[in-house]
Amino acid sequence: MTRAGERGAALAWPALGLAACVLLPWYALQDGLGSLGWARELWNSEESGAAFALGLSLGRWWLLPTIACLFAAAITALLPLPRARRGTLLALCGAAGIACFVAQALGIGLRGWTADWLTGLFGELDGRQFGIGAGGAVAGIACVGIVASGLALRGAFGGDAFVAGAVAAVIASIVLFTAWPILRILVQAFQNGDGAFVPSLLLERLSAPKIWTLRCLLGGGRCGVAWNTLFLAVCCGVGTTALGLAFALIATRTGFRYKRTLRVLTVLPIITPPFVIGLALILVFGRSGLVNQFLEWAFAVPPTRWIYGFQGVFLAQLFAFTPVAFLVLIGVVEGVSPTLEEASQTLRADRWATFTTVSLPLMKPGLANAFLVGFIESIADFGNPIVLGGDYRVLSTEIYFAVVGAQLDYGRAAALGLLLLAFALGAFFLQRRIVGTGSYATISGKGDAGLPTPLPAAARRVAMAVALPWAAITALLYGFAFLGGVVKVWGRDYTLTLEHYVKAFAVEHGANGLIWSGAAWHSFWTTVKLAAVAAPLTALLGLLAAWLLVRQRFAGRAALEFATMLSFAVPGTVIGVAYVFAFNVPPLEITGSALIIVLCFIFRNMPVGVRAGMAAMSQIDRSLDEASATLRGRAPQTLAFVVLPLLRPAIVGSLIYGFVRAVTTVSAVVFLVTAEYELATTYIILRVINGDYGLAVAYSCALIALMLVAILAIQLAVGDRRLGRRAGPTQGARA
Amino acid sequence: MTQPAGVEFHNVVKRYGDVAAVTGVSFRVDAGTLVTLLGPSGCGKTTTLRMIAGLELASEGRIEIAGRDVTAVGATQRDVSMVFQSYALFPHMSVLENVCYGLRRSGIAREEAGRRAREGLAQVGLAGYEERQPSELSGGQQQRVAVARALVLRPSVLLFDEPLSNLDARLRRQMRQEIRTLQQSLGLTVVYVTHDQQEAMAVSDRIIVMNKGAIEQDGTPRDLYERPATPFLARFMGESNPATGIARPLGNGRIAVRLGEAEIAVASPRVVSGSVTVAIRPETVRVESRVPNSGGLTGRVEAASYVGTHMEYGIATTVGSLFVVCPRVERPLPVGHEVDLLLEPRGVILVDG
Repeated sequence: MTRAGERGAALAWPALGLAACVLLPWYALQDGLGSLGWARELWNSEESGAAFALGLSLGRWWLLPTIACLFAAAITALLPLPRARRGTLLALCGAAGIACFVAQALGIGLRGWTADWLTGLFGELDGRQFGIGAGGAVAGIACVGIVASGLALRGAFGGDAFVAGAVAAVIASIVLFTAWPILRILVQAFQNGDGAFVPSLLLERLSAPKIWTLRCLLGGGRCGVAWNTLFLAVCCGVGTTALGLAFALIATRTGFRYKRTLRVLTVLPIITPPFVIGLALILVFGRSGLVNQFLEWAFAVPPTRWIYGFQGVFLAQLFAFTPVAFLVLIGVVEGVSPTLEEASQTLRADRWATFTTVSLPLMKPGLANAFLVGFIESIADFGNPIVLGGDYRVLSTEIYFAVVGAQLDYGRAAALGLLLLAFALGAFFLQRRIVGTGSYATISGKGDAGLPTPLPAAARRVAMAVALPWAAITALLYGFAFLGGVVKVWGRDYTLTLEHYVKAFAVEHGANGLIWSGAAWHSFWTTVKLAAVAAPLTALLGLLAAWLLVRQRFAGRAALEFATMLSFAVPGTVIGVAYVFAFNVPPLEITGSALIIVLCFIFRNMPVGVRAGMAAMSQIDRSLDEASATLRGRAPQTLAFVVLPLLRPAIVGSLIYGFVRAVTTVSAVVFLVTAEYELATTYIILRVINGDYGLAVAYSCALIALMLVAILAIQLAVGDRRLGRRAGPTQGARA
Repeated sequence: MTQPAGVEFHNVVKRYGDVAAVTGVSFRVDAGTLVTLLGPSGCGKTTTLRMIAGLELASEGRIEIAGRDVTAVGATQRDVSMVFQSYALFPHMSVLENVCYGLRRSGIAREEAGRRAREGLAQVGLAGYEERQPSELSGGQQQRVAVARALVLRPSVLLFDEPLSNLDARLRRQMRQEIRTLQQSLGLTVVYVTHDQQEAMAVSDRIIVMNKGAIEQDGTPRDLYERPATPFLARFMGESNPATGIARPLGNGRIAVRLGEAEIAVASPRVVSGSVTVAIRPETVRVESRVPNSGGLTGRVEAASYVGTHMEYGIATTVGSLFVVCPRVERPLPVGHEVDLLLEPRGVILVDG
C-alpha cells in the first residue's frame, strides 16, 4: 500500500468516531432512532444531544477526553510519519480513548457518581448519564478499531488491519457480553439491597441453611437446594451413562436389526424444546394422567401427585439426556480398537473376559466424560425442574424464584448463580482433564483391520433388556405428547379435536385483511424473528472466531480459545441472571428490549459454532489461505472467496444450531422476556404452569414443525460446496 | 505490471516463542536472477522464503523489496507471488477461475483478467484446460496451473516453495528446465526453495545454502561445489569423503597434502601446514589395480555395487574408508581386490585449513 493509502486507511476509524460525536445522539433514546425527531435536537437537548454539544455546552465535560483522543488519532493518521511510529501512536490514542470512555461510562450513572468514593474524591457532580446510545456505541467501537489498526501498522496480526479488527471485535464482544455480565454477578453477590458493598454478605448468603441443610437425611423436612441439585445431577449422570452405554453397545457391537432407528433417537432432543418430555410425563403420570386414571378406575386408588418432585424431574432428565450420552458413548465404543480385543482373544481370554478386562477399562475415560456431560446438562436444566419439580427445588429454579418471585432478592440470586457456576465449571474442568489427559487414545493413524468383537451373550441380554423398553417408552412419550395436542381435555374428554391448534394459531379474515387472532401468534412471530436475526449473527461470529483461532497467530490466541470454551460451560440460568444484572442500568441499558434477547442467543450459542468451525477449518489446507494472500487477496476477500465456500457444511451446521437453540432455549431467556417480547418457550412454560396442557402441547408440536422447515430452508439456501471430485490438490499425479 | 525487483535481507531474525528459526540472516537477490535457498529440512529456508512473501513477519531486522522497506507489510500488500509445495489450487474453482483469482483481486475487470489468464495458461502449455477442475488434472498439470496463477500477476518477485517435490523424477527434470526457461525469457526475479542439491545447481544463478537458521555459504553453483567453505557444505553439496592429511606449503598459492602414501598439490588461498581436513569427491578418484610405486593411495575393495550407469565402491585405505564412483562398468573389481587410488587436484578440497 502506498503511504497515502496507508494514511487514508488509518483515518477511517477516527473519522467514524468523530462523525458519531457530531451526528448521532450519544445516549439511548426512549423511542429509538427510527422517528428522526432527534436530528433537530442534536445541539440543544440533554437527552438526544451529540457528544460535541453535550461536552462543550451542556455540561457533560467528561465526554471531552474521549473526543480529544479521537481527535489525536485523526491527527496522527494525517501526519507524515513512518509506518511503525504511526502505528504506535494510533494504538496509544485508541487505548487512551477506550480508557476515558469506560471510565466515564462506569463512573457516572443516572444519579451522578456511581460510587461514594468518587463523590468523596471529586465532590458532588452536577449532571447524570443515561444508557449509551448510537453515538456512544459508534465512538466506543471506533476507539477499539483505532487500537486494532494501530497494532496492525506495527506489524501485529500479520500486518493485516482486517484481522486485527476482527480479533478486537471478537475479544471486545466476548468481554462485553460474557465476561462482564458474569463479573456483575460476582459484584452483585456482595452487595446489599442499597447497592453498598458488604464483603461478609456473600458468605452469609452462601452458608444459608436453605442451601446446605441435610434435614431430609435426618427425617425432618427438605434438604438444601445445593444438595438437591448435586443429588439430581449425580443420579442423572449415572442413569444417562448406563442407558447411553447400553444403546451404544447395541448399536455397534450386536447384530441388532434396527440400529439405524436407534440413531434417530439422537436427533430428537436437538429439535424438541427441553420440557416436552416433562410435559409428556405429566400427561402419563400426572394427577389426571393415564396411570392415575387407570388406577382409580381399576382399584379406586385416589389420584396422586406422585410425579411432581425428584422422581419426576429425574425421569424427565433421564429421557431427555440419554440421547446425548448415547452420542458421546457411541464414539467411545467405536474408538476401542478391535485389534486389542482380537489380541485378547488370541491370548486365551473368552468374550466375557475380553469385555470386562480390555473393552470396559478402555472405555473408562469415555464413560467418565459421558457422566460429566449428563451431570452438566442436569444442573443447567431449567425447563424440567420448573414443570415437574413441585417442592423439590434445585438451584436453577431457586434462582428464578429469587428474581421473578415475591422475594425479589437480587443478591441471593447472584450468590446462588455463583454457586451454580462453580458446580458447572468444576465439572467442566474435571471433564477437560479426563478427556485431555486420561484418555487411552486407541484410534491411531495406522490402519486398523479387525472386526469389532460381538458382545458376550450375558452383556447383550442386559443391554437389550434395559435399552429396548426404554426406547419404546421414549417413543411412546413423544407419541403422547403429540396426542395431548389433539384431544379435548386430557384426562377427562378424549374426543379428537383441533381446537387447541385453532386457539393458538387461528387466522381470521377481517376488514383489513388477515387477523392473526390465535393466542400463540405473538410469541411465535417474536421467536421466529429474533431467532432469524440471531442465527446468522451467531454463525458469523462463531465462524469468524474459529477462523481467527485456527488460521491466525496472535498474542492471547490460547486465552481467547479458552474463553469461548468456558462460556459454553456457563449454565443458561446464570447467563440470564447475569444479563439482567449487567444490562438494566447505564451504561448499557438494554433490559426489556429485543436486543438483549438476541445478544443472549448469540453469546449462548456461539461456542458451538466456534467448535464446528474450528473442526471444519482444520481440514482445509492452510496453504489455500496463504495462496490467496500472495495472490493479492486481502483477508476479507480470502474469507469470502476461498474459506467460506469451502466451509458450507459448517455454515449450515451453525446456522441450524443457532436457529434451533434460539427457538428451544428456556433457561437463559426466561429472565429476559417481557410482555412485548415474549418467546414461544416461555409462553409454553407459563401455559404448563397454569395447567393448560392442550395448548402447550399443540404449540410445542408446531415449534418442532417450524424447526424442521427452518432446517430444510437453511440447507436449500446455503447449498453444497462444489468440489468437483472431492480431492485435495496435493494428491499428486492422477492423469 | 511491475518490473522485476531485488530483495534484501538485513540481519533478519524469526523467533517462534523461544525458538529461533532464522538467526540473523543477511543477503541480496539481484533483480532478474534466480536464487535458490538450499538446505536440509529444518534449516530455516522455507521460513526465509515465507518472510519474503510476507506470510511470516520478521521478529527483528529489515526486509526490502525493490528498495522499499516491507518488514511490517503483510503478504497481500507485497508485490510478490508464490508457488506452493502443495500447489494450493482452490478446489472449488475451475482452472481458469484459479488463474483469474489474483487478477480479479487486483481489481482487473473480468474480460481483461480472463484474457490474461488464458495467455498465462498458454505460456505454461495448458491452453484448452480452462474449464477443468483442479482435481481432474495430473500432478504436473496442477503444478503448471500454480505457476501460471502466480505468473500472470507479473510480480516483482516470484517465489517457489519446493515446487517439484510432489512430482516423479522424470517430470521433475522437465519442470525445472521449464521454470528456468520461463524465468530467463521473462527476466523474472525468482527465489526458489529446495532441499535437492542437483535441482538447485541446475536452475540457479546463485545458491544460498542455509543450515540451522543461518547462512552457511552464498555463491554460484560452481563456487559452492568446487570451493565449499565448510565440512557441512562439502558433505551437503554432492557426495564427498572427509579425510585428514598433512599439509606443507609449496608457494605460489599452492600446498601439498599428504594422504597416506599419496601426495597431491592443491590450490589454497592461505598458506597452511600440519594436519588439515580435506573432502575427496568420489567421482574424481581413479581406481586402478595395484602396481608398485604408482604414487596413488593404496586400498582394498570392501564393497562393490553395480548401479547401471557406473560402479560404486567402498574402499578401505590408510586414511579411512572411501566412497568412490567409477564409470567403467565392463570389468568390475571384485571385493578383496588390492587397488591404487589416483587423486586429482580438483577432487581434493581443503575444507577447514
